[in-house]
Parts: sequence; C-alpha cells; structure tokens
Amino acid sequence: MSAMVADGLFALHGDEPRLIGTRCTACDTVYFPQAPSCRNPDCREKTIERAVLPTRGILVSYTVQRYQPPSLFRIDDWQPYAIGLVDLGDGLEVMGMLSGFAFDGIAIRTPVRLVAEPLYADAERGLVLTYKFAPEIEP
Amino acid sequence: MTQPVYVLGAGAHPWGKWPDKPQLQLALEAIDLALADAGLGWPDVQGLVAASSRFEGGMGWGLHANEIVQAVAEQGIPCVNVGGACAAGAIAFHTAHAMIASGEHEVVCVIGAERMPKGFIPRPPGSQDDISDSDYLRWVAMGATNPAYWAIEAQRRMHELGTSKETLARAAVLMRRNAAGNRLARFRKETTVDEVLASPMVADPLHLLQICPVSDGAAAIILGSEAWMKRTGRPAVAVAGCAIATGSFGDPGRRIPTIASSVRAGVTHTSEVGNAVARACAMAGIGPEDVNVLEMADNTAWHILAWPEQFGFYEAGKGDWMLERGELDIGGTLPINPSGGFLSFGEATTAQAVLQICELTWQLRGQAEGHQVPGARIGMSAVLGLGANGGSVILKA
Repeated sequence: MSAMVADGLFALHGDEPRLIGTRCTACDTVYFPQAPSCRNPDCREKTIERAVLPTRGILVSYTVQRYQPPSLFRIDDWQPYAIGLVDLGDGLEVMGMLSGFAFDGIAIRTPVRLVAEPLYADAERGLVLTYKFAPEIEP
Repeated sequence: MTQPVYVLGAGAHPWGKWPDKPQLQLALEAIDLALADAGLGWPDVQGLVAASSRFEGGMGWGLHANEIVQAVAEQGIPCVNVGGACAAGAIAFHTAHAMIASGEHEVVCVIGAERMPKGFIPRPPGSQDDISDSDYLRWVAMGATNPAYWAIEAQRRMHELGTSKETLARAAVLMRRNAAGNRLARFRKETTVDEVLASPMVADPLHLLQICPVSDGAAAIILGSEAWMKRTGRPAVAVAGCAIATGSFGDPGRRIPTIASSVRAGVTHTSEVGNAVARACAMAGIGPEDVNVLEMADNTAWHILAWPEQFGFYEAGKGDWMLERGELDIGGTLPINPSGGFLSFGEATTAQAVLQICELTWQLRGQAEGHQVPGARIGMSAVLGLGANGGSVILKA
C-alpha cells in the first residue's frame, strides 16, 4: 500500500510518476500544481485543462538543505538532502527534492528525470511518496 | 485635493529578543519616541495605521492599531490595520500617506511592532491542507525552508555571473560593519569573510551569517501636512515617492512559498518590488541614479548583490564589482543599508519596512550617528512581502 504526499500533485503510471498541472489552451501557459485559472493578464479566454507534465528536464539550480525543516515536512531517517529547480520546458520551472546526486557532484544544466520515492511510512496510509528529480544518465 | 506629505517624526525600539516586553509595549515605546521627535502628543494624532500580523497581540485578530488606541488614547480616531506580510510596514505607510495627501487628515501615525515566534516562521492557523495552498505543498512535498529558496537564487547567480563565495561573504561583512555604528541593530560585532565562510552551512551556498534571523522590534513614523511640518522646526523631510505593488506575470523569481514558476522572457525578477520601485521613482520624478542611500530588504547576502541590478540601478553582474570596489559602503556611490540591514537587525516582519523609513529620515536629517551617509539628500526604501507584495518609499531632504 502506498499514498502520495498530496492528492492531485502527481499520479503514478506503474512506478512512473507524472506531475499534474494545468494548461491554458488559449495562451498555452503551463502551470504547476493545478491552477484554478490562467494568470496571464493578456489572456481573455482563460480556458484551462488538466495537463500531464513532461517527465524530463534540465537542472536550473539547486541547494542542499542542511537543517531539518519544521514538522509539517515528514520524513523517516532525516538526513541533509538536495532540492533542485528543474526546467520542464514551455517556461515551467519546478522545484523538487533531488535523488541520486552526490552533494559535491550536482551540476547546473544536468539532464534530470522525474521519479517517485517514499518519504515516510504511515500506519494508515502505508508508504507515502513524493516526486523527486534524478540524473537522467546515472554517473 | 492633494497636499504634500512630510515625515514629522521617527522612532524605533532597538531590535533584539525582548521576552519580557509584550508587543504592545514595544509599539508604545516606538510611538512615544516618534511623537517626541515630532514635538507632538497623542491629542495631535488624527489617525493610526498599523502594519499587522497575527503572530502576537492585536487582540488576536491583527487589530494592532485598535489595541494601541484603547491602551493609550481613546480619542475616536480612525484605526486602519493592514496586512502584507514582511511588506506590511510599507503598505501601512502608503495608506497613511494617502490619508494625508487626500486632505482628509493632517497628522497620521504609522506603526509596525513585532515579537517573532522562535525558529522557523509557522503556517498561520486555519490554512487549507491541499494543493491549492503552496505553503502546504512546499513543506509536505519537499520541506523547502525560506533559506532554500534564497540559496537556489544564489547558486544560480554563482553559475550565471561567476559570483564567488568570498564576494557573497563580503556582502554580509559590509552589513555587520555598518551595524557596528548603529545602536538600534541587534548584531553589532564586525565580522570577516573567513568568519562568515566558517559559520554553519544552512542551505548551500548560504551560511548562517548570510541569512537574516528573526527578531523583536518596533518602529513608528509620524506623517503630516506642510503646515504641521513647519510647526516641528525640524529640517523638512518630504515624501517624494510612495508606492506599493504586486508581481508581474512570468516573473522568473523563485517566489516563496510557490513550488513552480511559469517564466516569461523579459520580465523583471522579484517584479513586485521592481514595480513598486519604478512607480515610486515615477512619482518622485527621479531615476535610480539620483538615490544617495538605499535601505533594502537583505534577507540574505544574495539580495545585496542582486536587488539593485534587478531594479535598474546597474546592469546584471555589476553588483559584485560595486561591492568589491567599496561603492556600496557608507562612503560609496550607492550606500546600501547603512543601518546594517536585515542581516544585522534580524527580521521583525511588519516593523521592518517602517524601520527602513525611520533610517532614511535620520540619514536625510544628518542624524544617523555612527553610520551617517555624508550629504544624503534622496533616500529610497525597497521591501518584499509574502504573497508578492512590494513596497518602496522615496524621501527627499
């Protein structure tokens, strides 16, 4: 049994996660997470639809979080971890935890792919997954 | 009608941790100082605008201004309580300015007072626990603290513009050096590049001494019309520009607490502040090149380098050179945060933008003892608040 950190954030196709966003079909802007409306002030139609986002992107920047965040962030066996900012194309830049990088080997412009990994085990929900970005080509 | 607006008085309680002083007392002490500075008393005050939060005080609902008048002056005056997170002080100032400029009032007080909770700033109660709330998602999905957002910006700058870790450390050193001469600052001990780089890494590349902590503090401003300004006998400090703004679509900034941005080419980074700065400049009829002293929100050392570039003071990448050459020092061409900035004060959210305007007032009057910018005639403030809130005030001697 497994669950996701928040409903509607991403979906699983087998083991493969897909981020769920919103696309405005009028002005072609893509949003993540799902948005209640298009935010483009020049877009009058604001016709939005659910959009499954690309699973591959380029690392724009990153940091390593050395201190444990407050308790709303639930994780088993806390250790410092990396957070990246990833360009998924069409102007959409998404933040997420990084997986499979050595802290001294993270490089901006590295191609990355979306993965789903457990954060913690919950008595009722089972393993709770979040999305992360891992190197496209294993080093 | 519209009428010119002047700063009649400024007052601030020193920043620090004051566990024995309720927020109300911090506020009253700051207002007393500002009133004394203006040579006025409560009977002269025709309105009170408070930058309000819900951390503490304000009758539990952020009614800070009401709490204050009920404590010291039940005289029927209008109380306005404004939100705007860390930009709330600028929004309160903007409201007070409008109350006088409109001709409705002659003397209005602006107050920001805050006692911050310990550690990380918590989510407010009653928030939604679902994907419609970014401040929920950023925690549950990746545990992104505020320093993580700033660190991602700083890392990107190092990659794009070649900023060195030493330069990034030097920005923090400058803030501490300025604060050494300011009795209101919390951290007044000078530091060195080596010390900054030896302080614990919080979020790479940002060390502890390059990130502002939270503090308790209070600041107040008395605004008034020209007739009331003349009564004070003080050198006139005029509000030349005063603007608040929100963000532009396509802003490339990594805006706390969102977890993604839809970026468009050519949009100003941190556009909520850029928009406020541009409007304040237009109102004052000046450009960034005319500013003699800039008090800006330096939540981290990265902000010192990046913000003036983003808001048109000089081109991208020049901040490093300006800092290294001493041009951002108190004696330089663009002194930034002679007060010591957020890095030396720590952030008392709603009070911060009011303190910036107090500092500019003292600078333009030549009263910034220990950290005076020689001959400052035009001062600008710039501040950012959660929810894409920007504020900027321009004062002229």
